[in-house]
Amino acid sequence: MTQLNKKQLNRALVFGAFTLPALLAILISVEIPFLMSVFSSFTKWNGLDRVQTFIGLENYKELFFDDPDMWKAMLFTLTLTLASVVTTNVCALLLAVLLDSDLAGKNVLRAAFYVPNIISLIIIGYIWRFIFSAGFESFYQSTGVEFFMFSWLGDTHLVFFSVLLVSVWHSLGFYLVVYIAGLQTVPRDLIEASMIDGANRFTQFFRITLPLIMPSITVCVFHSLSNGLKAFDVILSLTNGGPGTVTTTIALDIYRTAFVINRFGYGTAKSVILFLLILVISSVQVRAFKQREVEV
Amino acid sequence: MKKRKLTSSFLSLVLFLVALLYLYPLFLVVINSFKTFSEITTNVLALPSSLEFENFLNAFRIMEYPRYFLNTLLATAVGVSGVVLVSSLAGFKLSRTKTRYSWVMFILLIAPMMIPFHSFMISLVKVAKQLHLIGSPFGLGVLYWGLGASLALFMYHGAVKSIPHELDDCALIDGASPFRAFFQIIFPLLQPVTVSVIVINTMWMWNDFLLPLLVLSGSKKSLTLQLAAYNFFGLYKVEWNYAMAGVLLTILPAVIFYLCLQRYIIKGMVSGAVKT
Repeated sequence: MTQLNKKQLNRALVFGAFTLPALLAILISVEIPFLMSVFSSFTKWNGLDRVQTFIGLENYKELFFDDPDMWKAMLFTLTLTLASVVTTNVCALLLAVLLDSDLAGKNVLRAAFYVPNIISLIIIGYIWRFIFSAGFESFYQSTGVEFFMFSWLGDTHLVFFSVLLVSVWHSLGFYLVVYIAGLQTVPRDLIEASMIDGANRFTQFFRITLPLIMPSITVCVFHSLSNGLKAFDVILSLTNGGPGTVTTTIALDIYRTAFVINRFGYGTAKSVILFLLILVISSVQVRAFKQREVEV
Repeated sequence: MKKRKLTSSFLSLVLFLVALLYLYPLFLVVINSFKTFSEITTNVLALPSSLEFENFLNAFRIMEYPRYFLNTLLATAVGVSGVVLVSSLAGFKLSRTKTRYSWVMFILLIAPMMIPFHSFMISLVKVAKQLHLIGSPFGLGVLYWGLGASLALFMYHGAVKSIPHELDDCALIDGASPFRAFFQIIFPLLQPVTVSVIVINTMWMWNDFLLPLLVLSGSKKSLTLQLAAYNFFGLYKVEWNYAMAGVLLTILPAVIFYLCLQRYIIKGMVSGAVKT
């Protein structure tokens, strides 16, 4: 009996020694702060004082009924996310299909498109600020095309497309390599069989390839969705949320609420909303996309 | 057959042109970082008439590049090695132990994959402050452990399944301690996952901006390269020659890392993405 207990105890100790470091790290960096944020969202707290005054649902009331800026940020984030998810995935998939064929230098091409992805987003924003201002001015001088004279970062409508372009430019390579990996799993004999049956390239793509790479599409849309909803760095360096507050995303709005105007309690309420938003949108997306996945 | 070959080489030519256009902005950054200020204002597109290395010397000096490079290296090294250690240990044990508690622990450890960083960053700063992890690259690295562990653990957990458990059983029967059995027998077999985990986390920590901004911006000595670039760019918004030299210096380490390990990086990033 005692021998058995000792063995059990020993097993538990070993289990603890292997798993507790990870648990401790995750509790400290993610789970405890997350629970604290949920708690703080019901308080008024300026970040400096030790006291957090409990104010019930006041933060949420203000957020829903009295904060048009936050809703503007929400709307901008959702629109930008939708646009970038569609553009990135369509372009990446198209490019992946082209690169998946027997092409000279396809590895070099794949590596080339991946390059922007290794650069930090904050730097990406600065690079494009340079292109949109000094670069476009020179383009205009040498080509005379009116297009380059538009105020791509200063105009409240055009700036949307600038941010979209930069986000897509940065992330395309990443989704490209995921799609290429997905395309490589499509069995060649299925493609050949459809060719013998007389299917043309388009039918082949939409009827065979696309359903078979659905898992890659699920993954890529999931990642581009959550990256879009979390956009922060590139906005900060490219537009700083402007002109005005036109390109302020939810993440930037949360950051400013807490660390610029010191309303920490209110900031945490916004961050809880962001969590719920991402949770709901991604689970709906994953469920909807998973249903369309097929088995070979 | 001949016709097919022709269209294929035509397609590859077109794609090469598209790729060149795609990377053209980066080319502009490179050539303009070698120009004088007046040369940039006259024409951005022209090649530099002479190579102005002074831009780099200036950026290097004003950014205090060496110090911030070492800071970033320290934070990344501490972060990556911690993530590899804690997540391989836990991933292995949780994959081998098939009890209810083990399952609960597993869920608890991978749940953070569903929690976006921005939804708890405000309180994370508070926790970090209380644990004195704020204001030093080392503390930043420690904070990365928990942030990177979930995905890495998930990847290790899956990979351990394909390693026969007879291997660790034998080592234990032969009298090895559980840790020794893990580090000498299992861990070397997990090398492909370890490479992916290192790649994913290095790219992320090296390029990360928001967490360093939150926990380091108060102490000037412990900034990372990305933060230094952020400050530097704020100073030289209009002097594009300095700004572009700074940009180039900041991205150089990542580019070299990529050029040397390109195959592993792409493979690692893909495997990380597909796992979630």
